[in-house]
Amino acid sequence: MHTAFHSKENWLHKVNPSFKLICITLLFLFVLTIHNLNFMIMFTIAIALLFILFTGQSLKRILLFLLPFMLIFLSTALSMIFFGKGETTLFKWGLVHVTEESLFRGIHIGFRALSFALMGLTFALTTRPVLLFYSLMQQLKLPPKYAYSFMAAIRLIPIMIEEFQTIRYARKVRGLQSTKGMNNILKLSISIPIPLLSQSIRRAFRIAVAMEAKRFDSSVKRTFYYKMRISPYDFIFLFYFILLIGLAYFIAFNHPLIPVTDVRY
Amino acid sequence: MDNVSFVDHLRLKFPHEKSLLFKDLSLSFHKGEKVLLLGPSGCGKSTLLQVLSGLIPKAIEVPIKHEKIQIPEAWGFVFQDPDSQFCMPYVDEEIAFVLENLQVQRDEMIEKIQELLNTVGLQIDNIHTPIQSLSGGMKQRLAIASVLALNPEVLFLDEPTALLDEQGTAQIWDTIKNISEHKTVIIVEHKVDQILDFIDRVIVFTPDGKILADGDVSYVFSNYQEELDHYGIWYPGVWDSYLMRNKLNKHYKKDGNKHSLRLKNFKGFRNKEVMIAVEDAEIYPGEWISVIGKNGSGKSTLLLSLMQLLRTTGTYTIHNQCIHKIEDLQDKAYFVFQNPEYQFITNTVYDEITYAHQIKKADQQAIRNNADEILSIFGLKDKIKHHPYQLSHGQKRRLSVATAFVQSPKLLLLDEPTFGQDSKNTFKLLEMLENQRKTGTIIIMVTHDQQVIKHFGTRVWEVQGGKVIKDWKNNQRSKEDKNAYSFSQ
Repeated sequence: MHTAFHSKENWLHKVNPSFKLICITLLFLFVLTIHNLNFMIMFTIAIALLFILFTGQSLKRILLFLLPFMLIFLSTALSMIFFGKGETTLFKWGLVHVTEESLFRGIHIGFRALSFALMGLTFALTTRPVLLFYSLMQQLKLPPKYAYSFMAAIRLIPIMIEEFQTIRYARKVRGLQSTKGMNNILKLSISIPIPLLSQSIRRAFRIAVAMEAKRFDSSVKRTFYYKMRISPYDFIFLFYFILLIGLAYFIAFNHPLIPVTDVRY
Repeated sequence: MDNVSFVDHLRLKFPHEKSLLFKDLSLSFHKGEKVLLLGPSGCGKSTLLQVLSGLIPKAIEVPIKHEKIQIPEAWGFVFQDPDSQFCMPYVDEEIAFVLENLQVQRDEMIEKIQELLNTVGLQIDNIHTPIQSLSGGMKQRLAIASVLALNPEVLFLDEPTALLDEQGTAQIWDTIKNISEHKTVIIVEHKVDQILDFIDRVIVFTPDGKILADGDVSYVFSNYQEELDHYGIWYPGVWDSYLMRNKLNKHYKKDGNKHSLRLKNFKGFRNKEVMIAVEDAEIYPGEWISVIGKNGSGKSTLLLSLMQLLRTTGTYTIHNQCIHKIEDLQDKAYFVFQNPEYQFITNTVYDEITYAHQIKKADQQAIRNNADEILSIFGLKDKIKHHPYQLSHGQKRRLSVATAFVQSPKLLLLDEPTFGQDSKNTFKLLEMLENQRKTGTIIIMVTHDQQVIKHFGTRVWEVQGGKVIKDWKNNQRSKEDKNAYSFSQ
């Protein structure tokens, strides 16, 4: 993913990918244990700061990324706000039943989804897949067999996108798209993946043979072109979270914005 | 002399085939020999390379049996498709992948990568360049570089230039000639013109995997011409022999001077950027225009624009009718893509042929008659019930052109239709196009094949930097531009 978006390199890009992956996974789990709305909001702000300041993306692109995030926030939050359970009714219209409890819970869930999305994207934008797999092989002892299969697969994605476009053109020429009706739409949506997959399967097979022809052997110890190691940047990464989560916790409990401590119902 | 590679009494059968591909085949290769394997498609040349290198049965599981086999200690294999032999996204990473396999130390790698790239003449400013940004010829040279990292004594080349244009092909063979001193080279290739001076020995296979001829170049090409013709092999004199047998009549009786296709100030766009421009062109019925130009100059974009698959501006009329969108072109124009599979949308050859009529709900009996006629012209009559994907490469190509003919379009656009086809299929296809042209259809075809341009085209467009910069009748070119191609008419 990172290859598609050229950006400035920051310290965040230099953090060891495996370490980053583990930290982000632990943070994902940690978010699930947050039930205090104030803390949740503060935590999301901490992640958002990391995303905005250190992914090395231009402001324009960051604003662009925020658009779908708003959608994620609204869609998850609204369904809980409108239809969630609660006792103190604020508003009622047909099926929609907004209560104080569901309102807070909805906002809480919205922020939770938002922080997931922010963490995932921050990781994706600052990690080159190739380096991630090199690091997984070196630090976490992932068998090279899997690592190289994934890397080869990632290489196929842009080729497939190009192919998808060509197939769509080719279908248009046959007059597929000019006909209407449910039946044809169904036909069309089935007919594109078939040539795409048949090409990809063949290509994947050929790549596998080519890899063996280049003496790839997963049972033999190998050297690595990229040496991945733990560096001071990893400690910066760790300290960033300790510091900001600490700060978020402090603010949330000493200067709460909203007088709710637990959104669970 | 020492044999570097041999196989004795080889028997091989693909699981879903009825008969053996090889029955007691024995072959041996000397050290330093440059051998060319020829044969009709499907005779097992590529399979043999995979056996000799040990890829079968190690990487590709096919049951084989042999009395004795010697697989060279160090060998390299270059495949046909430039896009499916790399597993890493960048040039340096791809070569490093091989070096890692050989357990080369990390601090020696960069130097080694530079050295290998220099050996194959791949000059790039930064070794950390995306492979995707290289041309086909460059990709194949990268493939050779990564194979050279293995320090092979035997090189197996499986049609390394089949998917390259003329320039790329020349680059690859130059590279191989440079690097292969003292190495044994075993080549499977259809286009043999450029390597004859390099080859010591030619082996010709029959369709059932037996050795028909085995000898030096002049012996094989002078004694087995008939068989080579019959198998569809591109040997040096194949066009001469074809032209002797067939008289080509290039002229179409124009009815008056009425042009049927007109372009003025025509531009094709991709993401708001002008990708191709034609200032002014009139095309008459029965013209066959060959579009030439370098990779990436805009040839395919021109065809896509003419088919209205890209956004276009300017005047574009066919029979005085303005064309603005693809729907305006229905029944008028048809585009045949490079990969025939992309265009198949049904499950049998018959449905494929009748598809256009079925959606118009035409008379069933008429549909059937029309389909029968076309299928017999294209030699696909006994394949009516087959799934299009089950056809051979040549048959798929013919089917995809046949679907075009069903609608007898006024304008036929083709993107390298003869690419990677054997000579038999190529001639068959060209003849069908020629017959269609004689009825007044305009053919606009992207091609690299000089012989096709010379013997079948009536007009040539040269595309450069997104513009049609030259436009001439086929027999005028040699006068205008002596140092480019020579069209001896």
